[in-house]
Amino acid sequence: MRIRDASKEALIREKAIELIVNHGFDGLSMHKLAKAAGVSVATIYIYFKDREDLIQQVYTDESRKMTEATLINFDPDAHFDEGLKRQWINRMTYCLENPYSMTFMEQVKHSPLVERSTVDTRFLQAMQRFVHNAIDRKEIIPLPVEIYWSIAFAPLYQLVKFHIAGKSMPGRPPFVFDEEKINLTLGLVLKALKP
Amino acid sequence: MNDHSITEAFVLVFKTNINNPRQVKSIATSLDNCPDILKWNVDLADIDKVLRIEATHAQCEPMIELVTRAGYACEELTD
Repeated sequence: MRIRDASKEALIREKAIELIVNHGFDGLSMHKLAKAAGVSVATIYIYFKDREDLIQQVYTDESRKMTEATLINFDPDAHFDEGLKRQWINRMTYCLENPYSMTFMEQVKHSPLVERSTVDTRFLQAMQRFVHNAIDRKEIIPLPVEIYWSIAFAPLYQLVKFHIAGKSMPGRPPFVFDEEKINLTLGLVLKALKP
Repeated sequence: MNDHSITEAFVLVFKTNINNPRQVKSIATSLDNCPDILKWNVDLADIDKVLRIEATHAQCEPMIELVTRAGYACEELTD
């Protein structure tokens, strides 16, 4: 019988994300995780019933953190230009502060190991309201959501990746996604979505 | 943090030689029927085939006896 310890549990989660990012899902076993976190295998089983439960719980927790970070000072009723800028800043800040988490969330998107429908609906609701408001007010054109997302957010994530990697195209100097470049890109994105 | 409530359950963890879903099934009835056991599962993906039990008490021996009586090795997974 062992007592739950929140800081130990947080450390286990953190190390699980690092292992998955560095070695893929197959690189994560309870034994490897115990070693990385400096706890016993038995301790890990106090918090998680098996590997899949661990991955699912870590995903749920990370997605909640990401949702909260993304919604800071975000008003779904704001003008589209304002709201999207806030979204970009929030998402970028989150990615830069949690690079492992960002990569982990991307890996999970393509994995059958995780049930994504259990995720917090606050985020989805806020984003849907934001976009529908903007369409109703004729601030942007209506688009299939995949196309909307690819224009509104994919450029941001790609440039954040270049920034984190510290390099982009071969022969190019390290890419720094500074405020000037953010505003330049955001301006192009907004232009593309305008009616 | 996740607010999975701090339950009153005691988590007991054992190393076993329960190897496949069929063998898990073969111990299911006796574990399901044990009033001290609230929840249990076997992690077949783990090298130690870990049997994890959430119980109403912290005694390992009765659990070990249940599993060994069903014909499997079972020992407490210690630190």
